[in-house]
Amino acid sequence: MTASNRSLQWREKVIDPLFESRTDQMIMYELAQKLGFADQFLGKKDGKQNLRLVKVKGRDEPSMEDTLRNEVNKGCWTIGYTGQSPERLQAHMRNQHVFDVKTLRARGGKDAKTGYDLTGDYYGLPWPCYGSAAIKHPGSPNLYDTSKHPMDGGMTFRALFGVEKDGVNLLAEDGIANKGSDITTGYPQFDHVLLKKLGWWDELTDEEKKEAEGKTWANDLSGGIQRVAMKHGCCPFGNAKARAVVWNFPDPIPQHREPLYSPRPDLVEKYPTHDDVKVFWRLPTLFKSVQQKAVKDEMHKKYPLILTSGRIVEYEGGGEETRSNPWLAELQQDCYAEINPKTAADRSIRNGEYVWLSTPTGAKLKVKAKVTEGIGPDTIFVPFHFSGWWQGEDMLPFYPDGSAPIVRGEAVNTATTYGYDRVTMMQESKTTLCQVAKA
Amino acid sequence: MARMKFLCDAERCIECNGCVTACKNENEVPWGVNRRRVVTLNDGVVGAEKSISVACMHCSDAPCMAVCPVDCFYRTDDGVVLHDKDLCIGCGYCFYACPFGAPQFPQAGAFGLRGKMDKCTFCAGGPEPDRSEVEFKKYGRNRLSEGKLPACAEMCSTKALLGGDGDVIADIYRERVLRRGRGSEVWGWSTAYGLPPKPGAQPPVQQQQPAPTSGKS
Repeated sequence: MTASNRSLQWREKVIDPLFESRTDQMIMYELAQKLGFADQFLGKKDGKQNLRLVKVKGRDEPSMEDTLRNEVNKGCWTIGYTGQSPERLQAHMRNQHVFDVKTLRARGGKDAKTGYDLTGDYYGLPWPCYGSAAIKHPGSPNLYDTSKHPMDGGMTFRALFGVEKDGVNLLAEDGIANKGSDITTGYPQFDHVLLKKLGWWDELTDEEKKEAEGKTWANDLSGGIQRVAMKHGCCPFGNAKARAVVWNFPDPIPQHREPLYSPRPDLVEKYPTHDDVKVFWRLPTLFKSVQQKAVKDEMHKKYPLILTSGRIVEYEGGGEETRSNPWLAELQQDCYAEINPKTAADRSIRNGEYVWLSTPTGAKLKVKAKVTEGIGPDTIFVPFHFSGWWQGEDMLPFYPDGSAPIVRGEAVNTATTYGYDRVTMMQESKTTLCQVAKA
Repeated sequence: MARMKFLCDAERCIECNGCVTACKNENEVPWGVNRRRVVTLNDGVVGAEKSISVACMHCSDAPCMAVCPVDCFYRTDDGVVLHDKDLCIGCGYCFYACPFGAPQFPQAGAFGLRGKMDKCTFCAGGPEPDRSEVEFKKYGRNRLSEGKLPACAEMCSTKALLGGDGDVIADIYRERVLRRGRGSEVWGWSTAYGLPPKPGAQPPVQQQQPAPTSGKS
């Protein structure tokens, strides 16, 4: 379990799964067996085995301790999930009383069961916790905190984007480094070459050297490079500046671009969208041609209102679950459009009446009017938690018996128009155009 | 003996309907019967929107009790106003008398048939034995007998709705008013619990009122 402060907690099982249910890891293992890769699932190789099997309800399941120690800890060198071994986390759970409630840090204390010395650990070894469990990185209570030594939970910004761009240094400037760092300026990610240049290579043990030769901090499975870097007060992932100019994005610094269906052609002129992209995630994706066609077709005159969608407190997501719960469904029994009193009066729409909401896609939604000062006269809001109606018709007859939610209504995305964010490919569902008329 | 009261702080209510849902779930109240509801005034008007959660206030001089022709109402030692569904004839007089719109009727049949009245019990059940199956079916959960306060107030995420010992919740409210320096009028309190207040049980009133007044608060 990871808490919102990034602390990890080891949770003990409360009960065995009831009736015929099984644990998640049992299901995964049994599925691997059925598909014929159970040996690979357990990491069997050269007479060794990553995950031991334990018996639960008379069935085999992979040990959770082994899963954390031999899968997660072993596989997460670059993201700081290597130090949080099951033994350390279990010791934290048994000795919660030794951790300071404000700093999260253990002033002292030894685990009675294992003799593990808790001194200096932050509770739950907050992510990231670098290096092998044996070197006892204490976890990171605050991110990017250079006022602490890395072995006290200090951090820098990772040198993730190279060392320079267009002649500008991307690494940290002189004097910016962790407390106690032997390098007092910016530095790149650590690898075997840097370690040798710094003269720190011989601080690796012979075994670590064998594993670390030719490797970086990210793929040296001995953990030696991370150990030595942190011993010298350096973060193994380098010390760089935070990046505010994202040069690999279409807009390195976010700038305003009008939506494809804009109520303001003058602003489209001034803040046009991106050019069409021929191959974007393998697909041709239209931006500018759609926007210009919308201006040419004068969509802003046929559909003069802005349509936006969002949440209401009664329902979640698409609403299938919450609209099937009588206590919640009773609270909002119709899909509706919020309409400003002026907009409503101009169209002779009264509160609670049905209206037709139409958009440039050609879709028409039949929803109830909620006339309220809570929305501006140029905007319409429709919650997105409804489905079950299709352009004015209740689809109840098409639901299998007993499966229809108590409350059904128009799904607003029937009517939202085409459009995507250029970087995330998230669909544009918050800014489009519409018209409403009395039904 | 403690005097149980509800208090809704209109400065805090965010119209989340958590109280309504908690009430429905705890007491398994049927669709269409609303023991508690959230009322929003001036919806969307900046600076003027206010929400309050309303249910039976368990009035000191309860009008429902006064008008009931079959005398089905009674008051518990905690000051909670309850009623006996076996006596209720569903006449609806209490609904007309109540200043809070609390009484609910499950039916709307021919000849004004309404069914037995249902209302907020302050999660204190009814005349049947505490925590019995028959009590639960007729009146819902009897949390008070379990040492618990009403589910609605317990659920309230902003602690706008307070339910419990009138002296205690008045103290909590008084401290809030002193801290924020406004909002001293508690909606519905003078209607439900009368004026002048019992010393120490009433939140501070901004203007000194010369004499007890009846009517709207």
